[in-house]
Amino acid sequence: MKAKHLRASVLCAAVMLWALFASAQTSKPPQPEDVVIKNATILTVTHGTIENGSILIHNGKIAEVGKSVSAPANAKVIDATGKYVMPGIIDSHAHLALGDDVNEATSPVTPHMMMLDAFDYTDKAIYHSLAGGVTSEMLLHGSANMIGGQAVIVKNRFGLDREAMLFEGAPRSIKFASGENPKRVYGNRNQMPSTRMGNFAVQRAALQEAREYIRDWDAYNEKAAKGDKDAKAPKRDLKLEALADVLRGKVMVQIHCYRADEFLTEMAIAREFGYKVRAFHHGLEVYKVADKVAAEGVGLATFTDWWGYKMEVWDAIPWNAVISMRKGVKVAIKSDSNDFMRRLNQEAAKTMRYGGATEEEALKMITLNPAWILGVDNRVGSIDVGKDADLAIWNHHPLSSYAIVDKVLIDGTVYFDRSLPGLGLPFWKDAPMSGGGFGGADDEEGVRE
Amino acid sequence: MKTIKTFLTILTITVLSVTASAQAKKTATPASTAVALKGGKVMTITKGTIENGVVVMENGKITAVGAAGAVTIPKGAKVIDVTGMTVYPGLIDSHTRLGLTEISAVDMTNDTQEPSDPITPQIRVADAFHAESELIPVTRLNGITNAIVSPTNRNTLPGQLSFIQLDGKDRDEMLMVQDLALPLNFNGRQRRNESFANSKFPATRMGVAAQLRQALIDAQDYQQKWADFDKKSAEWEKKPEAERKDKPTPPKRDLKFESLVPYLQGKKPVVLTADTTSDVKVALEMAHEFNLKVILSGVMQAQSMFDEIAATKLPVVLGEIYDTPKPNQRYDAEYSVPAELAKRGVKIAFASYDSHQVRNLPYAAGYAVAFGLPYDEAMKALTINPAEIWGVADKLGSLEVGKMANVVVANGDPLELKTDVKMVFINGHEVPMVSKQTQLRDAYMQR
Repeated sequence: MKAKHLRASVLCAAVMLWALFASAQTSKPPQPEDVVIKNATILTVTHGTIENGSILIHNGKIAEVGKSVSAPANAKVIDATGKYVMPGIIDSHAHLALGDDVNEATSPVTPHMMMLDAFDYTDKAIYHSLAGGVTSEMLLHGSANMIGGQAVIVKNRFGLDREAMLFEGAPRSIKFASGENPKRVYGNRNQMPSTRMGNFAVQRAALQEAREYIRDWDAYNEKAAKGDKDAKAPKRDLKLEALADVLRGKVMVQIHCYRADEFLTEMAIAREFGYKVRAFHHGLEVYKVADKVAAEGVGLATFTDWWGYKMEVWDAIPWNAVISMRKGVKVAIKSDSNDFMRRLNQEAAKTMRYGGATEEEALKMITLNPAWILGVDNRVGSIDVGKDADLAIWNHHPLSSYAIVDKVLIDGTVYFDRSLPGLGLPFWKDAPMSGGGFGGADDEEGVRE
Repeated sequence: MKTIKTFLTILTITVLSVTASAQAKKTATPASTAVALKGGKVMTITKGTIENGVVVMENGKITAVGAAGAVTIPKGAKVIDVTGMTVYPGLIDSHTRLGLTEISAVDMTNDTQEPSDPITPQIRVADAFHAESELIPVTRLNGITNAIVSPTNRNTLPGQLSFIQLDGKDRDEMLMVQDLALPLNFNGRQRRNESFANSKFPATRMGVAAQLRQALIDAQDYQQKWADFDKKSAEWEKKPEAERKDKPTPPKRDLKFESLVPYLQGKKPVVLTADTTSDVKVALEMAHEFNLKVILSGVMQAQSMFDEIAATKLPVVLGEIYDTPKPNQRYDAEYSVPAELAKRGVKIAFASYDSHQVRNLPYAAGYAVAFGLPYDEAMKALTINPAEIWGVADKLGSLEVGKMANVVVANGDPLELKTDVKMVFINGHEVPMVSKQTQLRDAYMQR
């Protein structure tokens, strides 16, 4: 009996040991060091372009930017002669690394779904987007539900383990949706909602419940604070707790929404319940009511030129981003697709053609503005002293068709280097990657987000 | 009563859609007077690039191309100064669904596939082509003037293609060549294997291949029956009147097999779409077995047989360079496919395989250049190569005297994302730069 027990322990230990070595990726981020990028054309996004400039990185943060910097003698040097450096691209709407766990389409209200619980840090799509210059993205719940789950925000430190890939300190966001998707998903099952009236009725009802949940807890807390021994705590409800945090302003609201009338309705409901909408996602008709969206301080995470994939995008125009920007909306170009995520620089470049965005405005749409939508613009999104050294180095101007990423740095460490043999990944240990087809987009005729 | 109501509803819908599509419908009769584009950088494609060139168009044709000073501009010609602009032939997309779909998720606007049977060679794109589609003006404003229209690849033999002109007063003018080729798809998407419980034949690649082979054999038999009949009829005709008896009766006509005959005879090409090496090999073997004339399409995952593909001398239609590579494959494995094929001397032509985003065709070519495709090859793969592959090089694909005046003027490199197309001439007609989208832009920009 004892021997058997011992054998089991040995076996168990062996398995653990094996698991330790076999667990593909390393948990410790590489030690930051002093790094200097020299002789580069630096696209700062906030204060113009510096020709033949340098960036000094200390402990993973940008320490100096300018024509010349005071780099210590032992700093690692990256010679970027003839190259362009821009802030790492930020995608404010992605579904990669979630496998087929994007939509908990079993109820129109699921605010307690945590995308982190489905996050697959070995997905090849992370590698592909990293190789396209993307350093951070927000992974959102799908749009089947009026109120979907809570986002996870990732830094593409591909090759490290799951915890090391999370954007530490990023604020919480939740996905709301509206329009065709919820009404189609539930209408097909003969459930509410099956119309836009139903959509908003479901949303209001959930928010009202959350209000009452807050009231019950406030009443209890007040009693408990007064030392009332008979005070009975209300039952904890994860769903309502999540929505209560929305109403308390602790979670940013990101709304999938297409039509002009629906932006106005969503903003009215937000005023009614006292929360703020952070951004409309897709928002292909924002150009029709851009002044009102701007007045409310709501951002826009949009495609450049997608249209016609369903009825509510029939009026989409590629000038949407620039018209909205000119009227004061903070605009981001996002992917909603594992494919487009790899070339957001190209999508941003199209805004120069459709509406005449300047280079800096176009770059802002894939850096600082999406950083703001994620609530991390104090950390990333521009080449400024004190920000994280999340940078993409290109062989041409990144807004050109001919631009390819040479290197990507996150916190001053190189996570992708095109010149390396094989995959170009310094930290990826040889292990199977996961990931099948595209995320949000369909490869044939299907409906996108 | 119900019929009348239905009829009225249909009528209303028809009237509505006529009003909605009343964008810029104008005559497509070629301009009667000459137009000269002067001072631009002229990319002839076949005869080099002229930095300060002139292109003259008259009666729908290109009548002169050359350096400024070397070309005499006819008296009375409308001279357009295009200094600082780039002038190039209209781009050709070698696989689109233009005119077969309007709103992807609205079934009633889709005529992209006939999934009831994987073998439908009798289907003709020309029968469904919707000339008034809003997608067409949107597309041509980006300098795409011609395209192949194809059904989706859900069926093994989905139906016959048409080659279109993206301007014209109706479908007759826009369908330049009808039934010019037949897709032969073998990439797994033809399987009817939605779920194990609901799958029907063919649910596997074996099934798809067997069904295709049987269809081609049946078509051969059909062809033979008619050949026999023709022979007997001829013999019967030769006989003196008195000896003529038992007049041969013709076989029953079968449109499905009849439509395959020109392909079995090698008179028209099949567009063989397959992605992986094994799929390409299986489909090519079958094509050889039946002596089919082949244009390859896809091949994005067939890197290991590119030398073999080059040796076949077959042209390749490609463009799905944005398909994602397999896990643990290098991220640029597909971006570099056009370069890898061109390097081996393969004649390539770009395709968007899209409908609403056909307008982005030049950017895929630009990205292929970033990953090693020579620039001139990229331009050829959008112009003269597809013109040759589709048999219209006498009319299209380059700026040469005598060709159709499908000419684009843009403010920069056609493959660059920020380049704006300023003028599009199709058959010599200056197309108004108006689409549903520009109209919405203009309406809301002012508000």
